[in-house]
Amino acid sequence: MKHVIGRLGYMLIVLIVSSIAVFYAIRLSGGDATAAALPGSATEEFRQEFRASIGLDRPIYLQYFAYISKVLRGDPGRSITNNASLIEMLKKHGKNSLILGGAAFALVFLIGIPLGILASLRRNSWADHGIMSFSVIGMAIPNFWLALLAVWLFASTFQLLPAAGCCSPKQLILPAIVLAFEGIALTVRMTRSAMIENQNNDFVRTLRAGGLSEWRVTGKHVLRNALIPIISLAGLRIGQIVGYALIVEQIFSWPGIGQALVTAVLRRDYPVAQFFSLILVVLVVLGNWLADTGYTLANPRLRRSK
Amino acid sequence: MNQTVHDELIAIRDLQISIQSEGSFFEVVKGVSLSIRTNEIVCLVGESGCGKSITALSVMGLLPADVARVTGGEILYRGQNLLGLKSRDMRRLRSDEISMIFQDPITSLDPVFTIGSLLQEVIQSHRKVSRSEAEKLAVRALEEAQLPDASKRMKSYPHELSGGMRQRVMIALATALNPSVLIADEPTTALDVTVQAQILESLRRRQRELKMGMLLITHDLAVVAAVADRVAVMYSGEIVEEASVNDLFDNPKHPYTQGLMGAIPDITARRGLLHAIPGRVPPPQVPPPGCEFAPRCSYSIGPCWEKRPALLPTSVGKLRCINPQPFSR
Repeated sequence: MKHVIGRLGYMLIVLIVSSIAVFYAIRLSGGDATAAALPGSATEEFRQEFRASIGLDRPIYLQYFAYISKVLRGDPGRSITNNASLIEMLKKHGKNSLILGGAAFALVFLIGIPLGILASLRRNSWADHGIMSFSVIGMAIPNFWLALLAVWLFASTFQLLPAAGCCSPKQLILPAIVLAFEGIALTVRMTRSAMIENQNNDFVRTLRAGGLSEWRVTGKHVLRNALIPIISLAGLRIGQIVGYALIVEQIFSWPGIGQALVTAVLRRDYPVAQFFSLILVVLVVLGNWLADTGYTLANPRLRRSK
Repeated sequence: MNQTVHDELIAIRDLQISIQSEGSFFEVVKGVSLSIRTNEIVCLVGESGCGKSITALSVMGLLPADVARVTGGEILYRGQNLLGLKSRDMRRLRSDEISMIFQDPITSLDPVFTIGSLLQEVIQSHRKVSRSEAEKLAVRALEEAQLPDASKRMKSYPHELSGGMRQRVMIALATALNPSVLIADEPTTALDVTVQAQILESLRRRQRELKMGMLLITHDLAVVAAVADRVAVMYSGEIVEEASVNDLFDNPKHPYTQGLMGAIPDITARRGLLHAIPGRVPPPQVPPPGCEFAPRCSYSIGPCWEKRPALLPTSVGKLRCINPQPFSR
């Protein structure tokens, strides 16, 4: 229990430091907030008043504390460009990102683990070599290039799938696969090597001596041990997907948090940019924390209780 | 010696096993014959690499198939050749009639399952019993292996137990189904000396309770002296001497056995160099032309180098030597 609380405290510190960094980065990146919100003809005095009204004339650290207290009270503010409530935007865009991210996350394990197991069971066969080659390609291809390739191939040339938009299942297929691709490749490799490593462990010999069938030994015992590193990396996978989702959402015009964030930064929409960056940071930190907790849960040797 | 056929549980007859190394096969077990009988502890002694573990694994059918291969001989269990058995039938025998425990309890137990669930799984794969029945049998097996707090320990993970306790779990795992034969491959080598004695005692007690035929593999003569009824000495893939434990220690006949006995440090003697057997074990790739031990033997004569001596019966057991000399300490 102490362990969990310790990690929560650590996570909190990371969150605070990250939120400060995000806040300052956006503030200090220059550009004029008023340029986005007010028409070009507005006078300088008006702009000053406007800035004062949203608190931009106060020292940065005061702005930070004011902001954080507002966020924690559930009121992160409104978008400068269209005055939409940020909470509403979060709900709408968040749902879309969750669908896309969730689909990609599921694909990573639903495809990666079985392929990895298959490769480990048929070592050095054609299947094994094929799967591993696919894995190397998957890790090497930059995902924006893969996205463009997918669009060109499936949408443009074969006309099988839509190239953009939201939110039908058909429109989800391409972006989810592109987003999941690298994760699948990594998971395949990890699963294969973890399975092979565990197959050579002494406890396998003991289980066979106990008269258990090969199915049981491999399918239950070896697999359960092999899943430990994979489960622990699942949390990191969240961070990776959150990061890449930005690009994928842009290319496929999937209106998630990433896409909203990119648009907001380009338009200098401070409230949106700040809040959504914070959300992404929270997600990544949560993902890492989950990875830690998941690893402890999966591997009994790390549990300190008795 | 009085041997009736139904007493003999395991009869290894002229077993030959080869190992693959860098493309070719080399013989590492060169015609081993050994019996394991009811209610008897046979110790198989020899140094590392002499082939004793491989012999044991082949009885259980656990030889790694891609590396090792039985090239001759037979292994009979109650008259039936285990080498010809289908894997499904062999699996039924394992743990139920023929069991094995291994050397290193630290790595030999699956770390992600509780020892209770491990025991239950093995029990349920051989007997049609309910979960709670299997649980009761598991607890009883742990108690009979003298693991303290057995019912609480059911929920423990292997890493929560000490080495001695883990070995007791292995013993429980191997004897839960009351097998007739137990093969123990260096069960105490990885344990502290103080724990070794306790584990050996538990093993012997269990063996006597179930009247099992036990094959205890070791390189430690102290273990042999402590528990053996009969001893077979193995060198470079073959049995070179076999006798009852008292006969072997009182009057070792084979030069190798004598060398082993002579190498035991005497705590009362004045300090001096320890006796070691000169030379090294011949590699399986280049076997000597005659007797395997001739290059290191101080009694070797001409014919020793020409033809491999046969394992012949003596008044007290068996011996593979054409020129034995009496042993002087």
